Amino acid sequence: MLTFIVRRLLLAIPVLLGVVFVVMLTVDLLPGDAVTLMLGEHATKEAVAKLRDYLGLDKPFAVRYLEYVGRVARGDLGRSIQQNRPVASELADAWPATLQLTIAALVIAAVVGVTAGVASAVWPNSVFDALARLGSLFGLSMPIFWTGLVLIVIFSLWLNWLPVGGSGSLSHLVLPAVTLALPSVAMLARMTRSAVLDVLREDYVRTARAKGVGEALVLSRHALRNAFIPIVTLLGLQSGQLMGGAVLTETVFAWPGLGRLMVKAIFARDYVLLQGAVLVFALAFVIINLLVDLSYGLLDPRVARQG
Amino acid sequence: MRSRLLLGLLVLALIVALVPSADAQKRGGTLTIVRPTDPVSLDPNLETTAPGAWVYFNMLEGLLTLDEKMQVKPLLATSYEVMSPTKVRFKLRPNVKFHDGTPFNAAAVKFTFERALKGTPPARWASLAGSLDGAEVVDDLTVDVITKEPYGPILRTLAMYCMGMVSPTAVQKLGADFSRAPVGTGPFKFVEWKTNTHVIIERNNDYWGDKALVDRVIFKVVPEEGARMIALQTGDADMVLFPSPAQLPALRKDSKFTVHETTGIRVVFAGFHAGMPPLDDVRVRQALLHAVDRKAILDNIMEGSAGPARGVLAPGVFGYKDMQLDKVYPFDRAKAKALLAQAGWTPGPDGMMQKGGQKLTLSWLAARGRYPKDGEITEAIQAMFKDVGVEAKVQVLEWAAVFQQVRANPLNHHMFTLGWVTSNADADYSLYALFHSKQVPPAGWNTSRYANPRVDTLVEQARRSLNQTEREKLYGEVQDILTKEMVWIPVYTTKEIIVTRANVKGFHIHPVEYNLALWKTSVEK
Repeated sequence: MLTFIVRRLLLAIPVLLGVVFVVMLTVDLLPGDAVTLMLGEHATKEAVAKLRDYLGLDKPFAVRYLEYVGRVARGDLGRSIQQNRPVASELADAWPATLQLTIAALVIAAVVGVTAGVASAVWPNSVFDALARLGSLFGLSMPIFWTGLVLIVIFSLWLNWLPVGGSGSLSHLVLPAVTLALPSVAMLARMTRSAVLDVLREDYVRTARAKGVGEALVLSRHALRNAFIPIVTLLGLQSGQLMGGAVLTETVFAWPGLGRLMVKAIFARDYVLLQGAVLVFALAFVIINLLVDLSYGLLDPRVARQG
Repeated sequence: MRSRLLLGLLVLALIVALVPSADAQKRGGTLTIVRPTDPVSLDPNLETTAPGAWVYFNMLEGLLTLDEKMQVKPLLATSYEVMSPTKVRFKLRPNVKFHDGTPFNAAAVKFTFERALKGTPPARWASLAGSLDGAEVVDDLTVDVITKEPYGPILRTLAMYCMGMVSPTAVQKLGADFSRAPVGTGPFKFVEWKTNTHVIIERNNDYWGDKALVDRVIFKVVPEEGARMIALQTGDADMVLFPSPAQLPALRKDSKFTVHETTGIRVVFAGFHAGMPPLDDVRVRQALLHAVDRKAILDNIMEGSAGPARGVLAPGVFGYKDMQLDKVYPFDRAKAKALLAQAGWTPGPDGMMQKGGQKLTLSWLAARGRYPKDGEITEAIQAMFKDVGVEAKVQVLEWAAVFQQVRANPLNHHMFTLGWVTSNADADYSLYALFHSKQVPPAGWNTSRYANPRVDTLVEQARRSLNQTEREKLYGEVQDILTKEMVWIPVYTTKEIIVTRANVKGFHIHPVEYNLALWKTSVEK
């Protein structure tokens, strides 16, 4: 088990190196340059040259890449080009907000999505099932941006229950978390419904019922546990999605997270800040995937025995 | 009779004395402002753009300032005297202290300029400061400001929003952190900055002048325009910067809100590359000016959110002269076609202008979203050109990419949509950088490749003179010449627009976007 975890973590290193390379190359290939953007329309040629030299932007791509990797290996993420502030502090400011929002959305998605999905599967083609399927369709097709604004109009402007945006208290978290969770709720509900329906048709479920096991126990012990493998996989993928997809939600609700930080960095061509943020995302993806893989072992003893 | 009147007056005086002064009533409370972006920094050395300037303008003060009528007014300096063409002597205001208790004096002025102009890298505003070279201490409250060469715009340069004095002790103590917690002499002092959430400043109770009315100001970040407007309506915000233009007509009619607006100092224009045929022919350029219905653009695209461009400068700028473009170049398609015919361009079988089998086609570089409605006005002018048989091929790119191309030499496009702010509100800043023949990029901003020896002489002379009356006359002549040789289609002058709730009193909007003065503003309960 431990060797498995260590091996997986070591495999993450080439992944991260590759991610940094791709991001750095993309920023390099984009037209536009950090210094001229920073100094604005009125900058003199000398000022631009001085600042480029100071930031080391004149060096060849390969040199900058190796220097960056070397610094990161020593635990130094560098300073943001635009703000001259340690990238680590920038990330430390934004990361908790993103984590908070992602976890809240994930919890909402898991609880609401799985419950709705199971209920739909237990009572297929009922009124509830029809409503849940309609709701899922709605949740999947509405753009986050639009849902967010509609929720603000209803709950902030008309009812005056919740703040328009910003962060700080639990009440600030409600609207962005719900908005962000909606598409995932929909996806999970659909996935859970079909997974549970599939399992309920299996022979061992019929056997269990035949030997007189109660319906509740059949569902929880025999059906759900087996249906959970695809659900957990989706949940893992979704958590990555939620983290990355939070940009729009963060913008609509003025949520101070990593997504907005990244967008800012891209527009300013601030590759140092951008890479720092991307590294955090990449690392989070690796860890989530690892957790998902580990959970298979818990859910299904056969997987654990093979591993 | 007389004594009764006297008694009456006495009673009245007593009543007046008992009623708390209006000033005291207005004091207190919090002013919450929503705006789209977080500052890059609160140190003018690292940021000269609006998100940071809005905040630090209330904390840091310069020697001089520009009032809402665009007149230079003393601030930390009380008087000045021109000693030589490169030296201006300032008397400083006595008994002024920085927020950390450090006394403000000549040494602080010298320190501020040295840090900005000689530091590594130099301040972001060094490029805006022209010939400014530094300051020399004469005595504790007297300082000489030195320029590298005679520099006429020096007063307006020193009055710029980003020329605020910084506390030398705080800079030394805080190091790089000064950028996130600046220390100046202004009516507000720094409290807290939570990245991408808010910046809080509070009243400086030891301020040397009239103290600010509100206790604190919170600058919140709300990137989404719709959400900003809702925050204003629910009362989560008292003031919105960058309000949604579409909602302005409704807000103007609503007594719950006040729309503050004034003409800004940015001119947005469609520029010509005057060195590239066929635009090297002045008749073709004049024809294109006649072809554009600028009023229609203002009415239908800008919808009241911008003012007409009367020339290459905005009215608030020193040296501005009304070029009367509407009279000289009225919208007149027949005239446009006649001028094109004079230049040898005649309609072909498809109605498009041609000469010797060559079509009159212009390539045009534009961004979308850098300036208000820049994409839309580019498309509108493109359509208007078509009506006189001129084809424009517009290439819309992201701003960073447009920027890189217009800053490059040579420029491979006939036209470009750009905006220009006269940052120090002095004509020198625009007429020199934009129209001097030696200012072709990458040196300066003469993207039009305009070259006229007389204009070169005039702008050089005006830059070197410290006689403001003479300078104004010289700039007048430059604008007369430019009127005849037009290398731009000036489209509009920006308007500065800020919306507040009606209980926000005493706020005066400034033509310079960055000069967001909040110390006279109060919030009534």
